[in-house]
Amino acid sequence: MNAAAYYLVTPMESEASAIARGLRRRDPDLLDRLIEEYQHRLLRYLVYLTGNRELAEDLFQETWIRVLERGHQYDGRHEFSTWLYAVARNLTIDYLRRKNPVSLDGLMEDEERAPGEPADTRPEAWEVVAQHEQAERINSALISIPAEYRETVVLRFQEGLALEEIATVTGAPVGTVKSRLYRGLNMLMSRLKGAQA
Amino acid sequence: MSRDAHEQARELMALGEGLPEAQQARLRIHLEECEACRNYAEAAREAVRALRSLSLTADARLVRATQMRVRFHAGRLRETRERTWLVGIACLTVGISAALTAPLVWRLFAWVGEMAGVSNPVWQVGFALFWIAPTVAASALFLVHGAHGIGNSDVFRE
Repeated sequence: MNAAAYYLVTPMESEASAIARGLRRRDPDLLDRLIEEYQHRLLRYLVYLTGNRELAEDLFQETWIRVLERGHQYDGRHEFSTWLYAVARNLTIDYLRRKNPVSLDGLMEDEERAPGEPADTRPEAWEVVAQHEQAERINSALISIPAEYRETVVLRFQEGLALEEIATVTGAPVGTVKSRLYRGLNMLMSRLKGAQA
Repeated sequence: MSRDAHEQARELMALGEGLPEAQQARLRIHLEECEACRNYAEAAREAVRALRSLSLTADARLVRATQMRVRFHAGRLRETRERTWLVGIACLTVGISAALTAPLVWRLFAWVGEMAGVSNPVWQVGFALFWIAPTVAASALFLVHGAHGIGNSDVFRE
């Protein structure tokens, strides 16, 4: 390994292995830090996965409890976020199976509500209305896409995961991830276009 | 230009950043020649920009509540682990001491049986009962304690 590659890889590896060690010890300070660090990304993923903010908040808490209980299973060889998303995803599927024996596609049944409000950045009144309308439009377009396509699109373009990482999280082959991404993006584009017209 | 070439170019666009150099070059050449795909690329960029403009954040209350729940649960797991460890040590100690003292107690029962003038099966049954009594008592105790523990966790969940 050359020096540049060494410096690029080592910090991630040491960070991941430090997290793995801390999780094996069930270190509460480490967990506090991780909850703070991943709060927005995890909640965003869960909101777009379930299409329901309230449910997403419950699953957010349960995900961290599961991270505490099964932290020893994280080996530190992948990014922590990839493992965290996989835990959250499995928990969501378990919850939905218990509630209703359906697949991830079944999430669509309960997706009429908008997943969340945009952050309040206190601009002018007309800007608030415009921003709100814009966010509503994008949310509606996103929520109207089938769950497995939406999940892939969100993981790729909002969370910035690599294709291989998405494959790890979703348990699907990279080829499937690519086709979901293509179809998902097409659907999003046509929905956004439809909403504009 | 074949329909496949457009399809392939659009599939590459959907993968986002990080394409290998050869694929990027192929895509660039295709986009220079094809206006429809250039429009598609612009629409795709617009859709991704729109997606990234969505801001959704966790509030501080949720984060604090989660941290408190995780800490509380960590404490419970630690207690359970310590208790399990203690029970394990106790079981090991009892097992070893039982193995060491069994021949002596056997002889004691044999001697008492002989003194009392009872037949062999009688003192042997007595020995067996004496031997399993502590295990039965301990098991009953653990069962009661376990049921109590489950009851408590249900209350916590509520």
